[in-house]
Amino acid sequence: MAAGPYNYSYIFKYIIIGDMGVGKSCLLHQFTEKKFMADCPHTIGVEFGTRIIEVAGQKIKLQIWDTAGQERFRAVTRSYYRGAAGALMVYDITRRTTYNHLSSWLTDARNLTNPNTVIFLIGNKSDLDAQRDVTYDEAKQFAEENGLMFLECSAKTGENVEDAFLDTAKKIYKNIQDGSLDLNAAESGVQHKPSNGPRGANLGGESSGNKDPCSC
Amino acid sequence: MNMMESIVEDRVSPEDLRKFEAKYLSALKNGFVPPTTQFDYSWCLIRSESMSRVREGVKLLEDLYKKSGENDEKRDYLFYLAIGNTRIGEYNKALNYTEAILKVEPKNSQSHQLHEYITKRRNKEGLIGAAVAGGAAVAVLGGLIGLGMRMCIL
Repeated sequence: MAAGPYNYSYIFKYIIIGDMGVGKSCLLHQFTEKKFMADCPHTIGVEFGTRIIEVAGQKIKLQIWDTAGQERFRAVTRSYYRGAAGALMVYDITRRTTYNHLSSWLTDARNLTNPNTVIFLIGNKSDLDAQRDVTYDEAKQFAEENGLMFLECSAKTGENVEDAFLDTAKKIYKNIQDGSLDLNAAESGVQHKPSNGPRGANLGGESSGNKDPCSC
Repeated sequence: MNMMESIVEDRVSPEDLRKFEAKYLSALKNGFVPPTTQFDYSWCLIRSESMSRVREGVKLLEDLYKKSGENDEKRDYLFYLAIGNTRIGEYNKALNYTEAILKVEPKNSQSHQLHEYITKRRNKEGLIGAAVAGGAAVAVLGGLIGLGMRMCIL
């Protein structure tokens, strides 16, 4: 039972946002399937992927909503920000326009999520260093100014992809531990399943939001 | 709940419906409805509780599909047309739409998943429908027998 794939103590909801073609779906695919998906068609509206990870000995199921970058889906994707514990905001290091649009994505993320949502900035396509259009330092500074976590990744080679998803989860878990993220608050983006976790009874034990609506 | 079920069974919030309806109606009044405004409103309608509103949404999507000259856009409208038609129980029509996408993009995984979801739902409801029809036949038969018995008594 302890090693069963459906045994986990928490569900964290993530969203992935950013301009079209920056590689959001490929990052998700690399993280969930450990494979690079070449020539994937653009996402229609939203889709999601899941994977169970472990943080500090706790099994956590990540439910990751991948959103379409197209302008015509903006209303659709906006409706999925609510209740996200983590937001991965992606740009393409070889296309400056995708970097320039970050402030607008960040405004949406700040306005539509809760104050505790962990926002992680990802500069994707780090394997294409020769075509680089945005320096690491510049993006790092932007991240620091806005209080974001930051990594450059490659959905193609897999470089840093695990770290981006896992570091976000670690930060969310830390926020739960130090009490800054209230599990009982509506739309915290975290669901707790006390029966499965050894320390479950201490955390959000009275929450009514413990049920897992998704058995995928 | 799998992904497609959660997408098809997603319901619009009353605030969103009001907001996008107001935007659509005001654009209509001004004589020009941008495709995005029409799409946002139809996307709200097909997630409504009311089947007549879902039908309105389907009509608006059909209109967008007809007017669009871009393949990517057409494909997206087909996807939502499949969702809308699924909601109103027009499964065969919905499957025609997912098939149309898959003809052009055989590897489109979202459309594969939606197609599979609709097929399962149609088959499941087909079975339930058959069971209900079977039950009705038994009831009618029971009624006739009852009637026959009463006639005998008379």
